[in-house]
Amino acid sequence: MLVIKDLHVSVDGKEILKGLSLTINAGEVHAIMGPNGAGKSTLSNVIAGRDGYEVTSGSLTYKGEDLLAMKPEERAWAGVFLAFQYPVEIPGVNNTYLLKAGVNAKRKYQGLDELDAFDFMSVVKEKAKLVELDTSFLTRSVNEGFSGGEKKRNEIFQMAVLDPDLALLDETDSGLDIDALRIVAGGVNKLRSADRAIVMITHYQRLLDYIEPDFVHVLADGEIQKTGDKSLALKLEEHGYDWVKENL
Amino acid sequence: MNLVEERRQEALSLFEKVGLPNKRDENWKYTDASRLADLLEIDGSNTAINIEGLGMVDLDAYRMVFINGAFDAAQSSLPDEVNIVSLATLQSSVSDDDSQALAKLFQVSGDEPLFNGLMALNAATASDGAAVCLADNSVLNKPLYILHVSNQNNVIRHGLMLGEHAQAQVIEHFISTAENKALSNCVTALILKNGASLEHSRLQQEGKQQSHIARVEVKQCRDSSYTFHGVELGASLSRTDLVVNLSEQGASCALNGLFVLDGRQHVDHHTRVDHTAPHCTSHENYRTVLDGRSHAVFNGKVVVHEGASKTDSVQSNGNLLLSKHAEIDTKPELEIYNDDVKCAHGATVGQLDDKQLFYLRSRGVSEEAAQELLTFAFADEVLAKMSNTTVRRYIEKAAFAKLPHSEGIEGLLGE
Repeated sequence: MLVIKDLHVSVDGKEILKGLSLTINAGEVHAIMGPNGAGKSTLSNVIAGRDGYEVTSGSLTYKGEDLLAMKPEERAWAGVFLAFQYPVEIPGVNNTYLLKAGVNAKRKYQGLDELDAFDFMSVVKEKAKLVELDTSFLTRSVNEGFSGGEKKRNEIFQMAVLDPDLALLDETDSGLDIDALRIVAGGVNKLRSADRAIVMITHYQRLLDYIEPDFVHVLADGEIQKTGDKSLALKLEEHGYDWVKENL
Repeated sequence: MNLVEERRQEALSLFEKVGLPNKRDENWKYTDASRLADLLEIDGSNTAINIEGLGMVDLDAYRMVFINGAFDAAQSSLPDEVNIVSLATLQSSVSDDDSQALAKLFQVSGDEPLFNGLMALNAATASDGAAVCLADNSVLNKPLYILHVSNQNNVIRHGLMLGEHAQAQVIEHFISTAENKALSNCVTALILKNGASLEHSRLQQEGKQQSHIARVEVKQCRDSSYTFHGVELGASLSRTDLVVNLSEQGASCALNGLFVLDGRQHVDHHTRVDHTAPHCTSHENYRTVLDGRSHAVFNGKVVVHEGASKTDSVQSNGNLLLSKHAEIDTKPELEIYNDDVKCAHGATVGQLDDKQLFYLRSRGVSEEAAQELLTFAFADEVLAKMSNTTVRRYIEKAAFAKLPHSEGIEGLLGE
């Protein structure tokens, strides 16, 4: 689904990703772990299409298409979703409106008719249950006044409604207490499917106790240093990131 | 000559003495009143205009219609039991005893805050207006909708007095039916007695060549509450002076302003709030969305006088520039002569937030729609405090229509 080849990315002239390669197939769950400053968020932002990240060489191919040639909204229509590490508050834009605009823009791109208000609301209500989100959230402004946990639940709720093929979860576990983590992870697990790939970017092994990955990658110094199964995460937890460097 | 006529003569003399405001006056630094010089003659011939189909707000309300500055009783609908009449009618029928009170409405002094020649000219030449007097403890059970329709120069003077604990909602709406150059000069004088409460909206949607000059004066007695919503969408040049006097303890005012401008529109609001008594509150929030070569001016001055301890005053002014040729001159001012107060003020000028734009786009909203959505949300925040949702939706729709690419997000309205 996503093939990343020898990706070099600079931010403000400083190289952050230094030749990263990674292949992600449908149905797989990948965890990308790494210390602060390793380039984890850079990777998710480049995939989602945020400005300010300069790709100096390498390629990002999504379903056979050059992802870098697509605008952020086109990537969303094609099925890419980023759950933000820090979801931004947007006063005055309500959650329902945002989702409806997003869902219908995607359907239009796929050549489908727009959902009518009734069908849309029944989808939304069903998905809200996945992350135990009260429907009063729907009429509130996007993330405005939400607690940290509510913001992260809202991200997973949006993921459920927008139904992406490739979901990137950028530190979705950070700042969550154990109950909120359980709810968020439960939502993600219900969204696992054979057609969907999920990439979790995280600093902590804790998340992987709740969402079991097929692959664990260690990202450090702008490259994937090591790839393994979930036992790799446990070793990391035990020995710290220096252990990876020492064992290269 | 009766007292009213005496006051009006005095006002005329005052105007003849001071003339139009000029750029040497600090309060008129950014607004060129000399443009108005050839618009001062009042054409006496009053053409009738039918208000049907003119795009008025579809409200369940009492309605006063003024056509080119003259009350049109046939197109108005007023309650019998409440004291709402036209000023011209009142003037012609007033007894000598009552003329003293009425004369006060026409009294203008050069010492008043934000005094200028145009307000003297208004007192001297106003042809009509609303005269509203609400009895103590009365609640106006429907909003009062004052519709001003013009296609030529017009001068209007409204006087509203809310008795103790009286409550009302007043909407002034200004539209024009011609694209010619003309001047509207409108003064609204308000008195809120103890515990009275008024929500006052002013929606200016005059024609593209029109000049609109307004002054709103509010005198607030103890524990009274005043909410103002000033919405500027129309006219070529529009200037409003809003003067609030919190003269007795516990009075509070909320002043909200929204300008959505494009082309070469020029809109200037000067607000002046005097805290002269303790425990008074003034909250001010103005937002502008400026496109094209439009120019907005906001000057908000709050004066906290010596006796006004426990004053709570917040002023904020946010400006969104959609074009590099648009211009804003903003100046929130605070003068404080008391130590025991809580005051804050601030202004921002900027473009749309990149993080918010990216977030929306990452959810599949196109770039243009995301820009419109954030622009609209920015403007709409000011309207959130408007209690009348019919008026709010009307304004949202009209403001929305002025945004450059609004087609993509029409569905937002009415959500």
